[in-house]
Amino acid sequence: MSSVHVRLRVGREHYAVPIENVLEVAELGALSPLPGAGGAVLGVRNLRGSVLPVFDLARVLAIAGDATAPRVVVAEHDGRLAGLAVDEVTDVVALEAEAEQAEAGHLSGAILEDGRLVGIIDVERLFSSLAGQAA
Amino acid sequence: MTAPDPEFLEIFRDEAGGRLDHVVDTLLALENGSAAADAVDSLFRDVHTIKGAAGMVGLADVSALAHVMEDLLADARHRGALATEHIDPLLRASDALRRHVAGEGEPNAGLIAELAAVQAPGNGTTAEPHQPVAPAAAPAPAAESRSIRVPAEKIDTLLDLVGETVLHRRRLEHELGANGHAGHGIVTDELDRGERLLDGLKGAAIGMRTLPLSSIVTPLPRAVRDLATETGKQVELFVVGAETELDRAILEGLSEPLVHLLRNAIGHGIESPEERERAGKPARGRLELRAEQRGSIVEVTVADDGRGISEGTLAEARRTGSLTAVLTQPGFSTAGGVSAISGRGVGLDAVKEQAEAFGGSIEVRSEPGLGMDVILRLPLALALIEVLLVERAGNVYGFPLTSVEEAVSLGETLSLGGRPAIDLRGRSIALADLAELMGAAAAAQVPRAPVVVLTASGQRVALVCDALLGKEEVVVKSLGPLLAALPSYLGAAILGDGRIALLVDPAVLVRAAAPPRAAAAAPSNGNAPAPSNGHAPAPKVLVVEDSLTIRELQRSILEAAGYRVQTARDGRDALAYIGGDNGIDIVVTDVEMPEMTGIELTESIRAHATCSALPVVIVTSLGDDEHRQRGIDAGADAYMVKQRFDQHDLLETVERLVGR
Repeated sequence: MSSVHVRLRVGREHYAVPIENVLEVAELGALSPLPGAGGAVLGVRNLRGSVLPVFDLARVLAIAGDATAPRVVVAEHDGRLAGLAVDEVTDVVALEAEAEQAEAGHLSGAILEDGRLVGIIDVERLFSSLAGQAA
Repeated sequence: MTAPDPEFLEIFRDEAGGRLDHVVDTLLALENGSAAADAVDSLFRDVHTIKGAAGMVGLADVSALAHVMEDLLADARHRGALATEHIDPLLRASDALRRHVAGEGEPNAGLIAELAAVQAPGNGTTAEPHQPVAPAAAPAPAAESRSIRVPAEKIDTLLDLVGETVLHRRRLEHELGANGHAGHGIVTDELDRGERLLDGLKGAAIGMRTLPLSSIVTPLPRAVRDLATETGKQVELFVVGAETELDRAILEGLSEPLVHLLRNAIGHGIESPEERERAGKPARGRLELRAEQRGSIVEVTVADDGRGISEGTLAEARRTGSLTAVLTQPGFSTAGGVSAISGRGVGLDAVKEQAEAFGGSIEVRSEPGLGMDVILRLPLALALIEVLLVERAGNVYGFPLTSVEEAVSLGETLSLGGRPAIDLRGRSIALADLAELMGAAAAAQVPRAPVVVLTASGQRVALVCDALLGKEEVVVKSLGPLLAALPSYLGAAILGDGRIALLVDPAVLVRAAAPPRAAAAAPSNGNAPAPSNGHAPAPKVLVVEDSLTIRELQRSILEAAGYRVQTARDGRDALAYIGGDNGIDIVVTDVEMPEMTGIELTESIRAHATCSALPVVIVTSLGDDEHRQRGIDAGADAYMVKQRFDQHDLLETVERLVGR
């Protein structure tokens, strides 16, 4: 079984998000900071007339990212939207390998590709955690 | 709603009788051509006053019939003459009113329909007797209201487009302003025209999707009265914010949960009169139905002052962390036994399900002995609000204009219980840095920084910002479900230049800035504003109203709350008191009055040499938007809708304005 994923990089780590959860990839753009929100919330931005909350994916995953995360992956689940700021969006691929079941909080599993471990982000679980980190 | 006080009914009967005599005389004079020039005006005023007074004493039949008469007369007033063939139905309606006032009225649906039909456009000038027209006859009579069914999604698309058009309009204004085109005559004219068209479009589109809460509250006072009687309790229902617009689809489904909540409050919340007196409460319980738009949602609250939750429930709520979750468990009941009223269990789970089906949520707040608030938060398909935009530390914030009291520049600061405050015409108001309150890094303040005074839940706060950017009507966009846990924001708005304004909840800011209750209540705190403990004489309210019933009703409400009251019969009468040395602190005025209207009175006060800052509250009939706008233009401080015994609204407004 293969499925199409958007692959991205945060710091030195690689992740993939199922394409059905990705609406688009955009530049970070002009962010309005949101005073009072948790550290994982970078702010909100105007995405063609709607207000998109943008989260620092490195911070959410508790890993070290680059100093700036210039790209935003607009993720969707069950009508909820979030921009995930990442360092790089590498490509869109069909992942051939079977994902290993992993128990890590935001991941549904992981695969080994070209000698690199790629974490498969579970957007539903990620969103539950984002909602908890908003305030 | 309790039965109207017999004393006021009596006053009303006297007054209505006199006015009806006058109406009949005037109608007859119009018929035989001997009427005075202002005959139609005076008819309108009489009927309008009867309508308002009847509503306040709870005579819905009288009020409804007077309402259609008023519509007909408003139309005549507009056209400058009353068609002779309208005189007969008006005379018959006057007779019916008289019988109703005397308490022997019969159903008048037929009469109402007849009056509404003669008033319909196209029928106004024809002398032909009005015959029912078969539906097949063409062209269809204009009186018959036709309706078509449209899927809700199509209206939502329309609303989205209206919202986008408003945003587009702001962008256009921004661009034209930036390029120096805004001053051109033609451009300005066309912009004005566009603004009017857009206003019309907005109104029409929103009207398709929303109705005021008042459209479903009419049967509630009666239901409350019956339920209270059934359980041997004394309960008074207050409806606040009945003019708040709600989504039609939600409104249709809201009646049942609301009745359910009222039932709960009466069945389980409010205690028997004896028990209440033992607990030191008034024998009569207070039940409030409150609606308020907050950003892109409407909060509908049912609040009672009854016994609240039990200690056991409180303990369970503490254990689980959420009272709402405990009370909305399926099958949970606060009822000790099974009563005829509420059946088995409270059924808050059903209300919760319903709220969630509308895309909303429910919250329950309660403490043992202190009543219960059930809050339904319901979404609006398109939320437009007027905001004051300000800037602080690089962020743009918007405050709902309804909460903005005024903007001043920062002068000397005082200390109020160890906290900074400003003095505004003798009132101390807590001062806070907007950035700090929001949790942003507080940059240095500019010299003589602008300060915005916000008011919410009867409290005020003065907020320091860097710049005032002006007021703007914005489309409220939700921050999305992922940021729903942030309490400070009502949402966000996209401005003409593409920037985002964060819309702030004034209630949260006011709470955050308020000194801890204990400190505020400490008697040793010499800087605290003097409470009304008898040192200073109570504020004096000038009630201006041509209806004796309403005037006396307002007097009794205000006097019971400890105010001194002076009454006046119209604007001219009122001005005599204001001009003299009568120590009037605030004016509460009706609009439609002989001699001088409330609007003219407000204008005169604003132009007065010594009293131009006197607070003015305008009171009008439900949903009279034109008067509301004219009142605001004239410089009124607040606007209230006449409602049945809505003393809470009146007292809150007066208290807010005189800072008592």
